[in-house]
Amino acid sequence: MSKLATWARLKSPWVLHFNSGACNGCDIEVVALLTPRFDVERFGIKLEPSPRHADVLLTTGAVTKQCAERLKRIYDQMPEPKFVVAIGACACSGGVFKGNYTVAGGVDKVIPVNAYIPGCPPKPEAIIDGVVKLLNSLKAPKTEAKVNDSK
Amino acid sequence: MLDFLLIFRVLVFPGFTFILFFTLFCDWVERKIEARMQNRVGPAVAGPAGILQPLADFIKLLTKEEIIPRDAKKNIFRIAPIIAFSVMVFAICFLPIDGSSAISMSGFTGDLIFIMALVTVANFFLFMSGWASSNPYGGIGAARVLTQFLGYDIPLFLLALTPAFLAGSLTISAIAASQYLPFILLAPWGFVLFIIALQAELEKDPFDIPHAESEVVGGLETEYCGGKLAFLHLTRDVQIVLGAALVVELFLGGPYGPVFFGLPAFWYSLWFVLKVLAVVIVTEYVTCLFARLRIDQVLTANWRMLLPLSVLSLALTVAMATYVYPMVV
Amino acid sequence: MQARLSDKVQIQPAYLGKATIHVDAGLNRDVVRILLENDGNVGISAITGLDMGEKIGVMYHMRTDGLIVTVRTEVPKENPQIASITDLIPGANFHEREVADLFGIVFQGHPNPARLVLPDDWPANLYPLRKDAKLEEVTANVENCASCSAQHEPVQLQPQSEGKLVNIVVGPQHPALLEPEKFQIKVDGETVNDVEPRIGYVHRGVEKASEQRTYLQDVYLVERICGICNSCHAACFVETVEKIMSVEVPARAKYIRTIILELNRLHSHLLLLGHAGLEIGYETLFQYMWRDREPIMDLTEMLTGNRVISSAMTVGGVRRDLSETDVPKIKTRLEALMKKMDFYQKLYDSEPSFRMRTRKVGVLSKEDALRLCVVGPVARASGVNMDVRKDDPYEAYGEIPFKVITRTEGDTFARLQVRLDEITESINIIDYAVDHLPSGPYRIKVPRVVTAGEAVNRVEAPRGELFYYVKSNGTAYPERVKVRTPTFANIPAFIKTAIGGSIADVPANFVSLDPCFSCTDR
Repeated sequence: MSKLATWARLKSPWVLHFNSGACNGCDIEVVALLTPRFDVERFGIKLEPSPRHADVLLTTGAVTKQCAERLKRIYDQMPEPKFVVAIGACACSGGVFKGNYTVAGGVDKVIPVNAYIPGCPPKPEAIIDGVVKLLNSLKAPKTEAKVNDSK
Repeated sequence: MLDFLLIFRVLVFPGFTFILFFTLFCDWVERKIEARMQNRVGPAVAGPAGILQPLADFIKLLTKEEIIPRDAKKNIFRIAPIIAFSVMVFAICFLPIDGSSAISMSGFTGDLIFIMALVTVANFFLFMSGWASSNPYGGIGAARVLTQFLGYDIPLFLLALTPAFLAGSLTISAIAASQYLPFILLAPWGFVLFIIALQAELEKDPFDIPHAESEVVGGLETEYCGGKLAFLHLTRDVQIVLGAALVVELFLGGPYGPVFFGLPAFWYSLWFVLKVLAVVIVTEYVTCLFARLRIDQVLTANWRMLLPLSVLSLALTVAMATYVYPMVV
Repeated sequence: MQARLSDKVQIQPAYLGKATIHVDAGLNRDVVRILLENDGNVGISAITGLDMGEKIGVMYHMRTDGLIVTVRTEVPKENPQIASITDLIPGANFHEREVADLFGIVFQGHPNPARLVLPDDWPANLYPLRKDAKLEEVTANVENCASCSAQHEPVQLQPQSEGKLVNIVVGPQHPALLEPEKFQIKVDGETVNDVEPRIGYVHRGVEKASEQRTYLQDVYLVERICGICNSCHAACFVETVEKIMSVEVPARAKYIRTIILELNRLHSHLLLLGHAGLEIGYETLFQYMWRDREPIMDLTEMLTGNRVISSAMTVGGVRRDLSETDVPKIKTRLEALMKKMDFYQKLYDSEPSFRMRTRKVGVLSKEDALRLCVVGPVARASGVNMDVRKDDPYEAYGEIPFKVITRTEGDTFARLQVRLDEITESINIIDYAVDHLPSGPYRIKVPRVVTAGEAVNRVEAPRGELFYYVKSNGTAYPERVKVRTPTFANIPAFIKTAIGGSIADVPANFVSLDPCFSCTDR
């Protein structure tokens, strides 16, 4: 039974995209994932409008002060089991904006992150790769579901 | 023995299990067609050519955490999606699928009206589920479902009377059985209008107002997650199958077709499945071709265009059936 | 001008644009009024604040005949007050609010002096762009995320009624907005009564950060103000610095820059046209547009090494040369795109559901466009003939023939159609530039320390006029970098056109401005 549940989760990761103060570079690459060249619907990945429907939260941006609480709230609204992917250098560490007066610098300051995908912006292939690696880590339940994509 | 057959027919074929899996299959077909129309591949990894994708979505949603918002009307929030789903499935059980309906001998005079009423009830429960979530987007989405449904129910019903008149019966099995010549040939205007009204009733483009993501987020589903969301999705898919099945029964000669050898029930089921798929493909094709209209444009289109046209269609059918067809046939 | 206020103004020609007018703080309204009498179509490009030690400089960059005239004045830091010009030029509204936020200048008589870009809980009397602002504590607070651990209060989600009006809050997270911003929309039934935007969710303090980095680092920083029109930001910044240093860039570099800027425009326009499809529920159109956008991304990657953030510009030229073998690849890809444009034109001309959703939606008249000082395709769709590429040519645009696309309807359809036509123009520009690519070096060496001075510069970004002001104090770090992005100038147009329209038209109308908030907030 749990095998079936894992299979279903692997084949049907619905994602929610939240921009926490990004430059749009990563965001357009996330949207590009849906389009004919990359077409992530092949893997059952669907972009959902509501946090309640989502399994994976794709976060971009360096997390500005205005957005931090909202990011936390959206994370809390998602039903378990849920995963967070930080997309882009800003979401991983703050990137070029680290140290600015309104920037927290990194999604992991606010919510736990399961996978980091660095790049400015990461190519769509890298984002797919990151999400797939995250999901594959679910297969072996003993190991911690933390992936460090080194691309 | 009879009891066993009855239980088998209700639960397995052509009853609940068959409808469930056929619905998931139709969902896959829809997604594949949409993807191909948009130059994409569509689901490809779950099962051969992604055929298990809807099943994976369904199972995954069942295993998710159930959250009930604090402000929601909790009891209605819990049960409304499941009731809506069961009512839809119940409605399909009345349609003759393998020559007779799931509950054999269930057909009675006027069951066409009964099924249309069941669909209305199911939509009302969908509205309730959105309203109960106490979310503005859920509320707006639910109100839009109801507005649109109430508007398009009338022309749909009028148009459903066209084949009923041609067959001289309000019983679906009788209508289906009387089509030696499918009614699509006798009343093509009725068929075209019926497809348009159905498109609106199923909330598909260009009439998918209740699902306008850019306006109402997830519509009535906004606050739902887990199993309840799974049933809401399934309700919508079953509604599409039901709509397509109605078209098949009313205009395309029902499950009846040539029987080449062996059991007629097998061939009838096959014809039924193929015909429903054909209708699903047509509606999905239309969906991909158009942009979404605005809610006021949708309502105007209904009251100013579709309603008069459906009255006209009925009148035309009556005239043809009375004066023209007796001479031809 | 000189005649009427002879002893009180000082005109310095060919400085910071066409001319700079130095006036006393009390006379700013008079000067603006005289400029308006001269030319009724005077608009405002930007208001720059500048910390000058004891005083705060305020510069009004006015736009007349497509060129910049700067009105310059000073107010004391102790009591920074100046009269608002919003009643004379409604388009100055947001500019004044921004300067008030960042410099603490009080604009007397401003209709709505509410906070615009800084966070809600920002301490009072702390103005980040003043040189003496103590930001360490705030920065540390944000980095430790002091407010995040607190249990959040439930928000009131139900629409609140104020009498007959219903208040709908859209954002900060909403599928129609790819970026987090908040809009309070007051509706009366289905009709929009008022729109109150709250931007600043993406405010990252780029202008302050650029003062703490060297010019070379700043090129990469300003590029990341906006991921979509990144090359335009970089180009505008390096051009401004080159103006200060009086460096003439080699001709080949100018052409390569032009090619990259136009590729940027192509990808941005295709992105927007696809996104517009998504907003009106036309997913097929979205998928098609983005499919045809991919070859442009490939070309950008081929020429610069990255799909999105191209990092091609550098002070003194471009980072990479364009090789001979790239030329046929560029040509074939663009030819293929050109053929597709016919198909989209046919769709725009004949698809009924698309036309129903976009025509006569959000109409912006030419007068309003001028009054609100909107820029770019939004202004051109309302019949305002303005394009920095023609008005104030930079890079190779002076030598390349192209048409400025204008339309007169001013509705959502016109705004999209302008962009569709501009795609064709852009393809022609690139074609021409590739054919006439001069030989020679693609960059020259420039010193890292920039001579003291200041300059303004403008670039026609995909969304409209992009404005930069850079002041150098003779070190490797700039003294002040001011960025005014096109969306910032265009938001008033959205508010204007949304009011009185249907609530269901808001997404389509909004997206036709091509809003980019990471630009707006910086």
